[in-house]
Amino acid sequence: MNNKTTITIAFLAIMAFLPLLADSAWLSIGITFLVFAVVAFSQDIILGRAGVFNMGHAIFFGIGAYTTAILNVHFGLEIIYTIPFAIIFSAIIAVLLAGPIIHLKGDYFLVATIGFNIIFEQVLSNDIFGLTGGPNGIFGIDVIRIFGYELFSDTAIYYIAFGLLIITLFIIRNLDNSKYGRALYYINKDEIAAKSMGINVPYYKLFAFALGASIAGVAGSVFAIQYSAVSPESFNFMQSVMFFAIVLVGGSASLPGVIIGTFVMFVLPELFTEFKESRYLIFGAAMVLTMILRPNGVWPVTFGNIPKFLRPKKGAK
Amino acid sequence: METFIQQLINGLTVGSLYALVALGYTMVYGVMKLINFAHGDLVAFSAYVGLTIFTQFYGSNALTLVNIVIVFSLTSIVVAFMGVLLERLAYRPLRTAPRLSAVVSALGASLVIQNGIMLIWGPNMEIFPSDIFPSTTWNFGGVLISYTQFVILALSAFLMVSLYLFINKTKIGTAIRATAIDQDAAKLMGINVNRIVMIIFIVGSMLGAIGGLFIGVYYRGLTFDMGWMYGLNAFIAAIIGGIGSIPGAMLGGLLLGLFNAMISGYISTEWAETFTFILLIIILIVRPAGLLGHNVAEKV
Repeated sequence: MNNKTTITIAFLAIMAFLPLLADSAWLSIGITFLVFAVVAFSQDIILGRAGVFNMGHAIFFGIGAYTTAILNVHFGLEIIYTIPFAIIFSAIIAVLLAGPIIHLKGDYFLVATIGFNIIFEQVLSNDIFGLTGGPNGIFGIDVIRIFGYELFSDTAIYYIAFGLLIITLFIIRNLDNSKYGRALYYINKDEIAAKSMGINVPYYKLFAFALGASIAGVAGSVFAIQYSAVSPESFNFMQSVMFFAIVLVGGSASLPGVIIGTFVMFVLPELFTEFKESRYLIFGAAMVLTMILRPNGVWPVTFGNIPKFLRPKKGAK
Repeated sequence: METFIQQLINGLTVGSLYALVALGYTMVYGVMKLINFAHGDLVAFSAYVGLTIFTQFYGSNALTLVNIVIVFSLTSIVVAFMGVLLERLAYRPLRTAPRLSAVVSALGASLVIQNGIMLIWGPNMEIFPSDIFPSTTWNFGGVLISYTQFVILALSAFLMVSLYLFINKTKIGTAIRATAIDQDAAKLMGINVNRIVMIIFIVGSMLGAIGGLFIGVYYRGLTFDMGWMYGLNAFIAAIIGGIGSIPGAMLGGLLLGLFNAMISGYISTEWAETFTFILLIIILIVRPAGLLGHNVAEKV
């Protein structure tokens, strides 16, 4: 039982018992935290583990949410059956968007994904095919039903989000221990070396991209269920910047880091509503300061299950 | 045909605004390999500063040429100072840090400037006075050119030619080009890299300030978050031309302005941004180094 497992279990135990202590306001903050933590972890797979500079992550979060909303409201599909579609659509669109540009160098990829996000916003707010509902979005999404039980209470949604977080952490753990995880680790450390060792770099990057996108898609579904409505501004470019910053400010490829990042960026603003006006000003200053003081993020980077003798020495890049 | 030429003139006007802003991006990227996300917000800031100086000191009466020159110079100096401050506080400590750290720092700085503008001037739209330049309009056989457009085109052309001469014919310009090619070698040749970076931020911010003032004069409506959109467009212009290349930024700006004008004129205004980004993605797929950029092979 190492340090990392202890932290994970302690964190999950606290989150599991939160609904017993919290009132409804705290509970909905808790759901928000869990959903955004899942999105942040999925971004961490893409940005932290694969080293792909993705600044359009809100797209996949949005595709999940809109898939659930459109299939439920326009086609009358039960919520529970929309979730597989959310996963598949997010993954397919991720591959279609990133496929042609996956070979681009960091900054160029970053700008292209910004472009995708702006196009996505326009598609949503121009009410394409009469499906996305324009700038107001889609209202009146059904409650989730599983085996005939209606799960409409906040507590039920909380535990759905909590379950999703556990599944996500499980996926990440297995990823780190797998051939794919090791390949991504080497690609992130030194792409040219990885390529010359025979690792198919575009394939693994695209795999990470699709995996992260599909997890974000499920989180989007839960987000749509929580608010029973979706609108374009939840998935705009600013959100993508936040998802990007969470991972890097917290500490990429680090569980406590991503949790801290999510907490600071999405939970603190809910608690200090009186600072709402100057909230982004403080965020911005905090982002600059964190990067100057800890360029690798708040929490020390951990490397998954890489053998000790392979770990980089201190001070090495 | 007249509509076409009219769109051409409008496109060139908007294009020279993009070019002025794009130069700031491309110069910083050329030397520091950093996307200066805060540059767009500096541009917005300059429009607000210019508006304040205009209304505070001169009221809304038509302005004399001397006064306009004073306002433009004052604003550029304020914004250049902000640019240097930005580099000192947010970028210099991260010169040797991982590249993503600098990107996050730039995004943070952008948020600070954007929301600083909101706290100072308020979240509502501010309107630039309409009579800064005379409302004369010339009619060339159905094609209209306003006085404002003429000033924008003429002054932008003058600034771009001056910048080109500054970079290519002066000693400091040579030092800037040397630093862009290889910082360490430039240092060994006795070039003070910190000073070069400072000069780049001064020149880039000043050009951005002029661009911001023109945006105010031309579009008139100012919002605190407008820097994002103008900044992104200008940055796309820089990429289209080839990021790091100064003539590339000028060419890219003009081309993007023309492209935007033709799309809004003939196809759709609702989807204008989508077309811009589709153009960007096509350019990135076909020619990532841009029209005038060079493809640099990766060294191990």
